[in-house]
Amino acid sequence: MNSFRGVLLRGLAAGGVAGVLAGLVGLVVVEAPIRAALAVEQARGQVGDGHEHGELVSRGTQVVGGVLAAVVVGVALGALFATAHAGARRWLPRRSPFARSVALSAALFGAAALMPAVKYPANPPGVGDGSTVEYRTVLYLGLIAAGLLVVHGAGVLAARLAHLAEPVRFTAVALAVVAAAVVLLVVFPAGPDQIPADVPAGLLWEFRLASLAETATLWLGLGLAFGLLVDPATRRTRLTSA
Amino acid sequence: MTSPSHPLSPALPRWAYAVALLALAVTWVVLQENGLALGHAAEVVHEFFHDGRHALGVPCH
Ligand SMILES: [Zn+2]
Repeated sequence: MNSFRGVLLRGLAAGGVAGVLAGLVGLVVVEAPIRAALAVEQARGQVGDGHEHGELVSRGTQVVGGVLAAVVVGVALGALFATAHAGARRWLPRRSPFARSVALSAALFGAAALMPAVKYPANPPGVGDGSTVEYRTVLYLGLIAAGLLVVHGAGVLAARLAHLAEPVRFTAVALAVVAAAVVLLVVFPAGPDQIPADVPAGLLWEFRLASLAETATLWLGLGLAFGLLVDPATRRTRLTSA
Repeated sequence: MTSPSHPLSPALPRWAYAVALLALAVTWVVLQENGLALGHAAEVVHEFFHDGRHALGVPCH
């Protein structure tokens, strides 16, 4: 029997839990600035960016869709996370599965959410220029891919430095990760858009913090829930180790 | 017997990569679908998940 199946199911479940939590955070803290931004957009009159025209989907449905997006993405990330957790034998091999899960999720939050949030911060509707969305997407995904390479590199480096005492090894890996992150943030080109003058700075700040709260809930929730589900200290059913 | 230090890191079966691809595709449809894969139906998908796309920090309009 292949125990990866059990690990994968736990990943899906953990992702679902994290997605629901993130979706609720979105409902409570992200929806308000989105509503305010939509009001700003509406006050402009009709803008020709192809969004929000024709009422394809009502506002209420969009709010539901916003929560559902977090849940569906959470489940999908849960599957990927279970795969990465199983594949990343190098990642803190001597720690408990729970500690490895939380550490891996924190690293992935850094690469896939925090780094892009610093370089290409989230914007509410009515801020981005429709004509640059493809270029912005390439930059965003490129930075995430580069960040994931750094995470992978950190695992490889830690394994290479296995002969060093743990505090020395930890410091060396941390310094290398910080240096790599700084290089990436400097080397990647700036986003092309100007912030429209009618969008209040306070609204932007509120939205970006709220967005970060949602992504942090998603990633760390995933790491905590998955860790709880796979750690022998907490799980009820035994995974076969053969 | 596998290495006792990795009881929870089973070797990845080949189908694991298919699942991973499917998960990436689902993430793409929810967060990025702009008409590339689904054509006109994409507009509805795009608008339905629109709040989530912005809230999760994905570039949009
Ligand atoms: Zn948008």
